[in-house]
Amino acid sequence: MTWLAIFIIAVGLFFLVVGSIGILRLPDVFSRAHALSLTDSLGAAFVLAGLAVYEGFTVNFLRIVVVLLLVYLMNPVISHATLRAAYRSGLRPSVREEK
Amino acid sequence: MNSFLVFVLFTLTALMLVYLYRVVRGPSVFDRVLGLNGISTKAIVLLVVLGSMFERVDMFVDISTGYALLNLVGALAIAKFLEERGAARE
Amino acid sequence: MRFLSAIALFALWMVLSASYNVAHVALGAVVAIIVVWLSPKAAPNARRFSLTAAIAYVPWLFIRVLKSGFHVCGLILKPGLPIKPELIKHKTELSSDGELVVLGNSITLTPGTITVEVAAGELIVHAIDPSSQQDLVSGALDRKVGQLFTAKESG
Repeated sequence: MTWLAIFIIAVGLFFLVVGSIGILRLPDVFSRAHALSLTDSLGAAFVLAGLAVYEGFTVNFLRIVVVLLLVYLMNPVISHATLRAAYRSGLRPSVREEK
Repeated sequence: MNSFLVFVLFTLTALMLVYLYRVVRGPSVFDRVLGLNGISTKAIVLLVVLGSMFERVDMFVDISTGYALLNLVGALAIAKFLEERGAARE
Repeated sequence: MRFLSAIALFALWMVLSASYNVAHVALGAVVAIIVVWLSPKAAPNARRFSLTAAIAYVPWLFIRVLKSGFHVCGLILKPGLPIKPELIKHKTELSSDGELVVLGNSITLTPGTITVEVAAGELIVHAIDPSSQQDLVSGALDRKVGQLFTAKESG
């Protein structure tokens, strides 16, 4: 059980690291939001799921699942609100011409 | 398992520094908001990891839930404000 | 339906609360009932959320998120950064608020596509490269979300 938890958390850490690399490398705010959604919906979710597995089937499992659901419901709303503000204030994504 | 959790804690902190770079550096104000959002997602996860380490998940889950809700309200308020003001000045 | 939401709120209280003596449990029950009593009733012609479809929808969405997550990982880690971001207009025949919320959230949750602007019948979506638009353009997501809500029967 512990090894399963460690494996799931490691997968989550991988996504978190890739998301951070993305937020450094990607060129504009719209693309960076993709890296952020990678971090949120996969990285954080896997780490929390791994911790839930580590806790075993107790009431703590359900508590961590509540946090997980909260993250899942909340983060799309925040990304969307931020990007909508960016879009309405006139920012447009940079488009590369190379084919 | 405990040493692995310590490793997770340090990794999360290092990744928060990466996001902090984006917040400080970020060309537009929206990059800064996104960076802050990423930091607070990691803070939520970090609190739960901390709780798992101290075997007090019941307590730390409450803290991270409160943090998540505050973060939601704060980020929505900032987005609303920026939407009305526009990003004329950066 | 309101009875069910009171039960759900009470269950949430029980999960988050750490003490199970009579006073705390009774307080939870009272608060759940008051919250449901104060919250507005659903509009009479609102469409109903179908629980069985939702249970089938979540794993489907998660597999989709996982697939496009690996795809976006590949894009970010490749040396040349081969992304082709563009804004696409996505026409949809879903119109009620609930459907639009679920559709927009699902699009944003999936790495590779993000909802930028929502209007009735049209969404502006930012996609990071052409292959991550596939599911959206083919309308698979729309159909799945449409199945989530059924026309309201009695009750």
